[in-house]
Amino acid sequence: MRRLLQVVAALVAAFVLAPIVVVVVASFSDGAVPQFPPRTWSLRWYAHAIGEAAFTDAAWNSAWLAVIATLLATPLALAAAFAIVRGRFPGRQALQAFLLAPLFVPAIVISLAILVAMARLGVRDVGLRLVGAHVLVTFPYLVRTIIASLTRFDLGLEEAARTLGAHPLRGFLLVTLPLIRPGVIAGMLFALIVSFDNVSVSLFLTSARTNTLPLAILNYVEYNFDPSVAAISTMLVAVSLAAALLIERAVGLRRVVGG
Amino acid sequence: MLSRPATFAMLAPVLLVLILLLVLPVGYLISFSVLARGTGPQTLGAFTMANYGRLFGDTYYLALFGRTLWLSALTTAIAALAGTCFAWFMWQSGRRWRGPLTILILSPLLISIVVTSYGWVVLLGRNGAINTALEALGLISAPLRLIHNDFGIVVGLVHVVIPFMVLCVLAALERIEAVLGEAAMTLGAQPWRVLWHVILPLAMPGVAAGTTIVFCLSLSAYVTPAVLGGSGPNFVTTMIYDLFITQYDWPFGAAVAAVLLATALAIVILYQRLLARLGAEA
Repeated sequence: MRRLLQVVAALVAAFVLAPIVVVVVASFSDGAVPQFPPRTWSLRWYAHAIGEAAFTDAAWNSAWLAVIATLLATPLALAAAFAIVRGRFPGRQALQAFLLAPLFVPAIVISLAILVAMARLGVRDVGLRLVGAHVLVTFPYLVRTIIASLTRFDLGLEEAARTLGAHPLRGFLLVTLPLIRPGVIAGMLFALIVSFDNVSVSLFLTSARTNTLPLAILNYVEYNFDPSVAAISTMLVAVSLAAALLIERAVGLRRVVGG
Repeated sequence: MLSRPATFAMLAPVLLVLILLLVLPVGYLISFSVLARGTGPQTLGAFTMANYGRLFGDTYYLALFGRTLWLSALTTAIAALAGTCFAWFMWQSGRRWRGPLTILILSPLLISIVVTSYGWVVLLGRNGAINTALEALGLISAPLRLIHNDFGIVVGLVHVVIPFMVLCVLAALERIEAVLGEAAMTLGAQPWRVLWHVILPLAMPGVAAGTTIVFCLSLSAYVTPAVLGGSGPNFVTTMIYDLFITQYDWPFGAAVAAVLLATALAIVILYQRLLARLGAEA
């Protein structure tokens, strides 16, 4: 039976890795279409991808968007997590569920809702719309990680600081924050990935001139099938894996993702 | 402990953001669903329930909802089976393997869905790796149709949701004392009896939680059916996109979105109830 379990686990692992490995290997194709395995190998599609303005512009947009959304969502999440863990008030459970709501509302509904609401308010700025949507989808992961970090943390230290005469805010900044820092940084890294990779929530919010990288890739593959998308994808895989390793070493991936 | 005013002050900004960016916009979007389509482009008419009447009265739309629920259920069943096995394997494997296995099983979640969908196209497409290999081996004469149909949707969806299933089951398994299984075996139980009578019942809360969350995620997926599914609206989400972008029928699109949202939220509430009840029993 042990054998059987190993076989099934190996099959699941192969299934999970298959599309990723195929993209990475095919990105080194020399031909006009991605091949697995490539008949002749080349790096030329990397050069092509980096030279393609549709990708580079969108990559910059996505990077900025991820950084701004994460920087805005982090203080919000810190305050909320702190209030949930340290505060005592009726309806804490319900509130915690409400804070995670953006995870459960279908992303396509969030995207549409922000589109129509911002149109109503006369907001035509693509950047503003995207930042709003991305703060919403990154925020739950940050709250979850920070709540987990605060729950594991020894309350006595914070109280000691207060007993010794430190102002609560001072105690927070000098004692609590440094102790939960690995959790906060891991949450921020994950938020960066979530924002950078997200497609559905941006779906209705970009414009012909301002696009995000995942949507630019989606648009590109509608009309082209050359391996430059595989090259871009491989670079994305590398970045994601690097971030995953960092998070795993800092606090463990599972605590960030939840479950 | 924080004082009440301090707690409120810390929660206020978040609540404001959630209300302004989520609650009010979603409410506003749904309010379109009870309005008639206006005479001009992007104008709206008077109050009506006709959009919901059309949605629930037309077998075309009902069938599309039915398809979406069916494909999501199929995805969930496959993910539950495969995910439980993998979680069990992870649970039994040593500490050293935990990190690499975690990154492996979470990779669909860490890597953009655009990348993995493209990977499936390269692998399963008409001229993809699998068809090329099968043809070279002489096993098939014409390429198999592996994507741009329901098979493609289910393959893509299982890939997207499997991390959540594994995480849920693993969390449940980790609450089990490993000695339980050993105790049962020492008392003479066969390994499969240990699995059936000891391990599975204890893992059930995790499987139940994983099943609900995975079903909810499948239902709301957009990219997978858009890239790997057949042409035309093939899923509720792709229909919503079509109604808003191609047909400019915002009121009806909003009605479909409202029903999708209600379904997703009903499942999540069920999930919370389930978690609470199973937590109380454990």
